[in-house]
Amino acid sequence: MLSLNNLRIICTSQALQHSPKLLVNRHCVSKASSFYDTRHNNGIDFRSQNESKVKHINSLERTFCTASIKLNCRQSVGQTPAFFCLYCNFVQPPHEGASFFQIMDCDKTFAMDTQRLQKTYLKLQRSLHPDNFSQKTEQEYSEYQSALVNKAYRTLLQPLSRGLYMLELKGMHIEEGTDNGANPMFLMELIQINKALDEAQSKEETYKIGASMKEQLKDLTEQIHCQSTFAQMKYFANIEDKVKEKLSELMQTLLTLF
Amino acid sequence: MAGLVAAKKCITPLVVIRRLSSPEYKAQAAYHKKVVDHYENPRNVGSLDKTSKNVGTGLVGAPACGDVMKLQIEVDDQGKIVDARFKTFGCGSAIASSSLVTDLFRHIDEALTIQNTDIAKELCLPPVKLHCSMLAEDAIKAALHDYRLKQQDGKIEAVKASN
Repeated sequence: MLSLNNLRIICTSQALQHSPKLLVNRHCVSKASSFYDTRHNNGIDFRSQNESKVKHINSLERTFCTASIKLNCRQSVGQTPAFFCLYCNFVQPPHEGASFFQIMDCDKTFAMDTQRLQKTYLKLQRSLHPDNFSQKTEQEYSEYQSALVNKAYRTLLQPLSRGLYMLELKGMHIEEGTDNGANPMFLMELIQINKALDEAQSKEETYKIGASMKEQLKDLTEQIHCQSTFAQMKYFANIEDKVKEKLSELMQTLLTLF
Repeated sequence: MAGLVAAKKCITPLVVIRRLSSPEYKAQAAYHKKVVDHYENPRNVGSLDKTSKNVGTGLVGAPACGDVMKLQIEVDDQGKIVDARFKTFGCGSAIASSSLVTDLFRHIDEALTIQNTDIAKELCLPPVKLHCSMLAEDAIKAALHDYRLKQQDGKIEAVKASN
């Protein structure tokens, strides 16, 4: 019995080595994973076998479990992205179809509890940071996962980027190019604000403009009801960025004076 | 010249890109030297009197990138554009496009024929920045439209006054 099982491991592993496509071949993997389940069901613990086979078996387990998460795992029904294999704790490569909301375990709504988002983010990064892993494959996967989590956090944190992402998920996006229906009074107001920012000489003036931009953005966030609101937010967010740049430049100038 | 000063201080990508002085970077990521030229020495920054009947003002915005552009033209009775001014708040390519446009036309008929493809070709804009040249073309159209409306209103008023 034992030798037969060993033979199956060797045969399958050789197949895997020579043809990486077999990894995603359902037929092959289902065979392997059913073998894997049989192992558990029969109570045969290969880890207790002699050393020479343990290393071989471990690498096999890892190859299988990555595949089994993608294809066979009970957890993936709701498309919840799994970061680690439940059985052996091996880092998984990022799930292709997962949205940022799924990655950060948030409801797909515009309203967001940013405190909770931050907590999830810190928790994930603590476990996913590449420095936690020594094996090359694990490091590689954890790098991808970590970068993806960073991107998801940054996008979902700010209302504007969150809203734009939600539109993107629905296949909508702000049209590139001129907005011919724009209100000329609104555009004139933007020009005036930009002009005032240019001409601002002191930190206080710049700060004031920044504060008014924050107010505008807050109001618009509360009244989100259509795509054009995001367009307006984009203009104000741009000015807010310029305010930050100007403030840092003014600080720099102040520092050089002393 | 406030616009010029603002343009220099506000936009950092060009500064960053200039600092990456290795040749490979220049080839891949740099703004074209014509764009840099228009950005550093923009032609015709400023404003004209909006209320004047001879001045057409075009105000356009691009919501995707948050750029705003104002273009004003002053036209004499023969249809010759005697002055053009612009103010653009946005990326280097948008500033360069509007600056170039104020240089390109000296007659209304010429202005009508300017296409965004001409602007893009002249500045060697990459595909991702083509919408900036489109914005400049729309700004010209808006300015001309505004001028025409004012002229029409002027004629209507003249007719009313004579009756």
